[in-house]
Amino acid sequence: MNPFVFEAPTRIEYGEGMAASAAEILKGLGASKILIVSDQGLVKSGVIAPILKCFQEDQSLSTSIFTDVPPDSDVTCVNKAAAQAAKDGCDGVLAIGGGSVLDAAKVVNIALTLGGDVLDYQGMNNLTNRLKPMVAIPTTAGTGSEVSAVAMVRDVAEGKKLLYGSRFLAPDVSILDPTLLVSLPAKLTAATGLDAVTHCIEAYSVEVTRSPLTDVLCLEGLRLLFQSLPQATKHGDDLEARSNTMIAATMAGIAFTNLGVGVVHALAHATGGQFGTHHGTTNSVFLPYGMQFNLEVVAPRYATMARYLKLTDDKNDEVAAQTLIARVKALSGEIGLPSRLRDLGVPALKQDQLENLASLANSDPAIMFNPKEASVQDIIGIYERAY
Amino acid sequence: MAIFTSTEQLNEVMERLWNKIKADPEMSRQLLKSKLTVRFYYREPEGRLTLDCSDGKEMKIFTGENNVKPVVEMFMKSDVAHEFWLGKVNVPVAILSGKIVSKGPVQSALSLLPVVKPAYAMYPEIFEAAREKKAG
Repeated sequence: MNPFVFEAPTRIEYGEGMAASAAEILKGLGASKILIVSDQGLVKSGVIAPILKCFQEDQSLSTSIFTDVPPDSDVTCVNKAAAQAAKDGCDGVLAIGGGSVLDAAKVVNIALTLGGDVLDYQGMNNLTNRLKPMVAIPTTAGTGSEVSAVAMVRDVAEGKKLLYGSRFLAPDVSILDPTLLVSLPAKLTAATGLDAVTHCIEAYSVEVTRSPLTDVLCLEGLRLLFQSLPQATKHGDDLEARSNTMIAATMAGIAFTNLGVGVVHALAHATGGQFGTHHGTTNSVFLPYGMQFNLEVVAPRYATMARYLKLTDDKNDEVAAQTLIARVKALSGEIGLPSRLRDLGVPALKQDQLENLASLANSDPAIMFNPKEASVQDIIGIYERAY
Repeated sequence: MAIFTSTEQLNEVMERLWNKIKADPEMSRQLLKSKLTVRFYYREPEGRLTLDCSDGKEMKIFTGENNVKPVVEMFMKSDVAHEFWLGKVNVPVAILSGKIVSKGPVQSALSLLPVVKPAYAMYPEIFEAAREKKAG
């Protein structure tokens, strides 16, 4: 077995209505002036109102509310939120939202705790101190950001995603409250769910960081997603289906933060950075093509997944692996996700643009973990097949 | 016990290696294309090497303190650097576990990993020469 490192520093509190305990949890972590980070969509849908009410009713806490995180969080919004938090003397952070909000809040917490320019803290493991207490309340089931030790925000000027990675970025507590997902539109449920599917499959395929601890998370996470994602998409008020997808996404988050991902994420980061496409949807388009590319080296892993999911009992790894790829495509179609990159509004690229995008993907940290070496030409091939 | 016995020996080995890389047309072409400036901080023993490709014309190599502003900074034990150049470091694992710490756009530095792979074959001879010199 490979040597491995496994870390899961975030305490997870799950339960219907559990979001109401955020104020108590933050107090328990020693915070009293809380920066609450969210987005306008959640303000308008009324999702965050009951949570805010709990804070307003607690006289021992004060809040500073920032609800302007865009769908694809960027450096500008992070700087704005960090300046507001510093001005208001915040000593704790509560993030309520999808991956974009949670990632933005993590980077805001870097600036709030350490000061200076957030661009200076990019990189892997270069944070040496604990940050201010942070609680995450995910309102989507997909990114795993509520437990991951990484955050990505977009640098619009440079047209790329900035990576922050450190064990200190993982939130102290993550509150999984499935009632918050009930009003999530089907399209977003599907896209974020397929992001979690991608985490399970890509992470399970990584060889160098694999361990039995992560195997279990990927396999069981994928089983829960295959079982419940169609139902959660079609019947958003099914709390059991919502719970399953939420817990599965968190399991996948713990897995990939210890394992890494691969070429599908590298392509989704590059494409998202250039064209602003939704991360989960972009992953869903690239996933079958990325799997097909990796097949020759990971067929036994895909086959194990296919058998675990009871998709097949075929003893031939190649045949069983193809069953998984076909099932991924079918799931994506069943929940209404596009199957082609062109359907995401990505323009046809000229050769030099294609090479530039493939070079970006080829230098994305995710590519390091891909089980099969991928050249720029290989990446162009996957992109063209997905287009 | 650390592989390198002194900062002087560490700097000498790394400087020689990077000069060999500079003399290799293909590796230097690709490094210059990146226009990247990377500084490596080594510890146990301490050492510092800066690679400046920012003008895209000439690779500049500095050991020790200097005023060049790096885009990416990499921090590691000198032993990890030695193992890396022997091709024995699993970089993803080293980064995840914190054995290699990166500051700045790590993507840019990672893109150079495949570029410098041919230098793995150059390293043992350079290292052995420095060790024999010390012993002699």
